[in-house]
Amino acid sequence: MSAVAGTPQRQPGRVRVRALAGYAFGLVLGAVVWQVVGYSTPQQVFVPLTTTLQRLGQLISSGELGSALWTSFQSYLVGLALALVVGAFAGILLARRRLLRVAFEPYVIALYATPMVGIIPFLLALLGFAFWPKVVVIFLFAFFPVLLNTQRGAQSIPPELLDVARVYRTKELGIWRHVIIPYTLPFLMTGVRQSLARGLVGMIASDFFLSADGLGSLLITSSERFDTAAMLAITLVITAIGLALIGIGRFLESRFARWRTA
Amino acid sequence: MSADAPDIRAEARQVRQAGAGTRAIPAERSGKGRGPARKDADSARVEGRVSPWQATALRVGAGIVLLAIWQVGAELFAPSYIATPIGAIGAIPGVLGDSSFWSSTGATLLAIVEGLAIAVVAGTIIGLAMGRLPDLNRILGMYVGAFYAIPLIAIVPLITVWFGYTPQARLAMIVLEAVLPIIYNVAEGSRQVSSVYLDVTRIHHVPWWRVWGGVVFPNATPYVLAGIDLALGRAVIGAVVAEYVTAINGLGYYIIFNVRSFPENQGVVALVVIVLFALAVRALVNLTVARVMPWYRPAKEA
Repeated sequence: MSAVAGTPQRQPGRVRVRALAGYAFGLVLGAVVWQVVGYSTPQQVFVPLTTTLQRLGQLISSGELGSALWTSFQSYLVGLALALVVGAFAGILLARRRLLRVAFEPYVIALYATPMVGIIPFLLALLGFAFWPKVVVIFLFAFFPVLLNTQRGAQSIPPELLDVARVYRTKELGIWRHVIIPYTLPFLMTGVRQSLARGLVGMIASDFFLSADGLGSLLITSSERFDTAAMLAITLVITAIGLALIGIGRFLESRFARWRTA
Repeated sequence: MSADAPDIRAEARQVRQAGAGTRAIPAERSGKGRGPARKDADSARVEGRVSPWQATALRVGAGIVLLAIWQVGAELFAPSYIATPIGAIGAIPGVLGDSSFWSSTGATLLAIVEGLAIAVVAGTIIGLAMGRLPDLNRILGMYVGAFYAIPLIAIVPLITVWFGYTPQARLAMIVLEAVLPIIYNVAEGSRQVSSVYLDVTRIHHVPWWRVWGGVVFPNATPYVLAGIDLALGRAVIGAVVAEYVTAINGLGYYIIFNVRSFPENQGVVALVVIVLFALAVRALVNLTVARVMPWYRPAKEA
């Protein structure tokens, strides 16, 4: 990111200092702009950073934020875990069985392009406000990146590896265990990284419409009360969670990239 | 992606057989090793080539199976108001004759196109500037990265406070959702200009605005298209969620209105229209890439 093509890097030390100064300046500038805009606009529109942080403190100490986070993350984790297991299995299956792949690939691609928020009203009508419809939404958001990346990985296995397994008359189960799954894991992790982010979108969306508590509904109720400070505070929390999840995703991906060959 | 995998495998096999004797595996295969050869024939049956006709038949068959599962499942386990494929097909004439459906479709699709257009122009300019000016990139980069990382639909309640329950709120949401992947991609693309070209412009004292317009922007064009591809899906989500929350006229509201008042099948038709629109724009982008930049292979999901 810091190494920009065409930029002469004669003094890396100095470039580094300048980069750090740039980041620090950006952070300070953002905080100042937030503060100034907050003071110069009506309270319902925007509030200063300091007011937001105060409100964040209140939300934490009253326990509202904690319980909302807990509710949201229960469905997030269950939905994500299901997406991982089912998506990885289906991805390898599609890669291994050409007939299945030919038959179902168009539908996978079409469903991947489907905005899953569209099905939320149907789930609401079918299952109501509950835990499982939220899990289903998060699952649907997170499932397809796992499937597609796993499939891509399992299809890119060098035929030599499979031939060796075949020479030793390894059964399909053994091929999965000793060849396909180890080879595909790094690709799966790319899918996991994408799913972590997409699942979070699903979590907020399902919170908006399928939940009476949770992070998203806390946002909605704050907006109904014109409690802009609370909305900004929750958005800040969601941003922190989003960045943390991206970090986790990148870590997993780079950790498993060690034995990725393609 | 799917079609070339077996070809590669077959090719590799031929290559290995041509060089038989140099390696143990092909020798065994062409020789008397019955086990692997039989296994090979076996997998050739399962993995064998599928003619286009067979492929179409398989796809149609799979589609029928999926719809049948939905139909039977809905009839057996769900209340009668739940949408079914047959019900949805039956609802098509009614929906197509419904003027509110057409005004909803027009409102949503126009808003998405308008928002994408704004996002492309703004995103390209910001992306180019961020790609070429390292200092600007350091200041703005983390904000773009942060907003790109979070579920932006979390901002919908704030936007309704700022814009009210109006179509402008939806447009703002679409622009916000769509502009980030475009900025991200264009910045990436304009960073990857070959330094040879830039050296040439420097030798000829080309003014900066001609460097941007003549060298950097053309180099970043494929990235703009890749950005649009990513932006589209996000824009649709932003539009639908904004319509759910604000209840302004549009396909998202059409879905939620019909599902709540229980003619669910009409809602399914509207959902299908959204999906078809998303697929059509995606196909258009891919076609443009294939026509204008045949050398470019898009890298999905940065």
